[in-house]
Amino acid sequence: MNVIKYPDILLDSLENGHMIIDENYTVSYWNRWLAINTQIDKEDIIGKNLEDFYPDINYKVLHRKIKTALTIGTPTFYDTNSSKKFISINRNKVTTSSLQLMQQQVTISPYIISENKVMISIYDISELFETKLLIKKEMNKVNKLNEKLEAEKEIIDKNIMIMKTSVNGIIKDVSSFFCDSFNIDRDEILGQNISIFKLDDVSDVIYKELWTTIKNKKSWNGELKYITSKGQAKWFQSRVMPILDIHGEVHEFNAVYHDITNEKLLAELYITDSLTKLYNRAHFDETINLIVKNQRKADSEFILVLVDIDNFKVINDTYGHQVGDEALISVANTLKSSLRDNDLVARWGGEEFVIMLKDTTINEAKVIVEKIRANIENSIINNDIKLTASFGFTKYILGEDSKEIFKRVDDALYEAKEAGRNRAVLK
Amino acid sequence: MKILVVDDSKIARMSVIKSLKVVHPDAELIQATNGLEAVESYKKERPDVVFLDLTMPVMDGYEALKKIKEIDKEAQVIVVSADIQSEAKLRVLVAGAKNMYPKPINVEIMVQIFEQDILL
Amino acid sequence: MNLQFNEDQIDALREFMNVSIGAATASMANLLDAFGTMHIPKIEICNSDELADKIQNSIDIRSMYFVIKQLFTGKFGGECMFVISEDSSINLGRHLYDIENPSFDEVNDAVIELTNILTSTIVSRLTQELNTQVQFFVPSLQFLDAASIVSEEDVGEYSKIIIISTILDFKDKQIKGNVYILTKDEAIASLRGLIDRKIEEIYG
Repeated sequence: MNVIKYPDILLDSLENGHMIIDENYTVSYWNRWLAINTQIDKEDIIGKNLEDFYPDINYKVLHRKIKTALTIGTPTFYDTNSSKKFISINRNKVTTSSLQLMQQQVTISPYIISENKVMISIYDISELFETKLLIKKEMNKVNKLNEKLEAEKEIIDKNIMIMKTSVNGIIKDVSSFFCDSFNIDRDEILGQNISIFKLDDVSDVIYKELWTTIKNKKSWNGELKYITSKGQAKWFQSRVMPILDIHGEVHEFNAVYHDITNEKLLAELYITDSLTKLYNRAHFDETINLIVKNQRKADSEFILVLVDIDNFKVINDTYGHQVGDEALISVANTLKSSLRDNDLVARWGGEEFVIMLKDTTINEAKVIVEKIRANIENSIINNDIKLTASFGFTKYILGEDSKEIFKRVDDALYEAKEAGRNRAVLK
Repeated sequence: MKILVVDDSKIARMSVIKSLKVVHPDAELIQATNGLEAVESYKKERPDVVFLDLTMPVMDGYEALKKIKEIDKEAQVIVVSADIQSEAKLRVLVAGAKNMYPKPINVEIMVQIFEQDILL
Repeated sequence: MNLQFNEDQIDALREFMNVSIGAATASMANLLDAFGTMHIPKIEICNSDELADKIQNSIDIRSMYFVIKQLFTGKFGGECMFVISEDSSINLGRHLYDIENPSFDEVNDAVIELTNILTSTIVSRLTQELNTQVQFFVPSLQFLDAASIVSEEDVGEYSKIIIISTILDFKDKQIKGNVYILTKDEAIASLRGLIDRKIEEIYG
């Protein structure tokens, strides 16, 4: 068997401290690492008592540990997390200052049991310990952040309407506030298609625009009308955002809603004629003035139609104002049902109505106006009353102001009346 | 010579028997797995020596020792136990055991038992 | 892998544990001046995901615990875990440091010291019975609530575990703790091999 010739060199080259002491703490070995780190030379300590150099060690505990190692014949250890140091060694690390003293792992191993000698090994675990401290510190930060995040999440959940859907519109998650607003249980709607909230009377145009936008990976902003579980229609200012996956493909949609039903009702009240529920004159004026002002070609291709019920005064005088009102409502409904979705119709005042046929040629307008005229003539009010109306219509000429076109349409209507009523005149 | 070996563990009984067979290959061996069986067996068989474990179900070795000594105050009982604290030893010696040894028993100890503790 | 134990193997393992626990109790009386009793060990083989439940069922879940884990390796390898309640630990600190109010560090070190003696004696006595040797690693100590002693995520992949457990009780000092020796998969097979060799030696 090979015997190691120079065990001292071996122990001196180790990067940890090794000393050999007996149960009375007399030092019989002190390696180079210890000499350098403690500034106590081998020659000064060997043969002496450790107590003379390190009186602060708890020798009662040390004695017990030595006895344990010698009796059981296995190593014993000190708690590595302890803030008490076995022997204190300063650290020279400048960049971090969390540890002033070396954190040590101390192992007491039986050396020569018959001579009651043990080897005490000291390992520098400061780096490990610092990392532990750092992790602990970071964990505390993370926990605090998480708490804050949870609190904020709760605020959002309770106060903002949010919905997540899959690419094909299956509802994946909704906030509590969404459920409250829609009067619905979360479990009830998860997995359902978003279309359950759609109202039949809302035109598809807006939904198509919404889907086209978000499928093109862009956010969509706009107003949506949805129906709640109680059958109540509500308006929402909505923002729908596509969420992209790492490949840049849409993998879900997030929508944030804000209930604007009340604002919407107020605004509608403001622009609606209270009797006929058509738009009022103010709204029509505003619309046409905007078009005239902007002079956008797309908006300018319209026909203006002025409608006046023939001999309305006679109906009022004969049947009374109530029937007169019914006649106005009936004509209003006939007008609305005879027009297309994006045509604009308003009560102009008294028994006069005004229509804007959007994106329409003169030939198309002739057909539409004739259809309206016939529809009015064919409708019966209050079981036996029949009515007719006269029409003036004209095409908007780019560049003219609203006074000019109104003058022309007025003239056309006047001509229709003069020519015997129940007819339409184009100017 | 009749010898009664009492232990709830089979390997513990086998361990005692293994050493016994070296020292006294001709001995007649009887086994019991708890204190109660040991007492019954002692009454019937009157063995010359008893090897008795302490920690056992039904009746522990300490109770069995007292019962056996009641039946026969000359009974030669050697306690073999995993409990090696001195109080336990003192207790069984007071109760009349010849001696007490820590588990497991090897041949040298068995020789020593028959030289020092047992009168044949 | 067949990790079942037959009756003879269980009997042998229990007997070796008895001897080891007896030695540990004596070591503690000798070294710590504490005279305790240890219960007859319980041996269970279970799946790794059942470990947390088994441990929680053997302790009072309302208390906080010092948990010391010490690894040992060799032909018989595994983890020795000692679980001791906060109250018991403080009593231990009082006893070993001989002071009324031991500091947290002192309690820590007292617990480490007790565990050291306990696990070293049990495991080395057990390995001595099994005619093999082990190497011990530095014990790690944590202060945890009962639910966190074994977190299911940490146990990780599916394994078979052998749990050898006992209770250490110093009645006069009001110190009580649970000892668990945990071994898994290949180490179980290796342990069984060692037991078989020993059975062969004694029965043969």
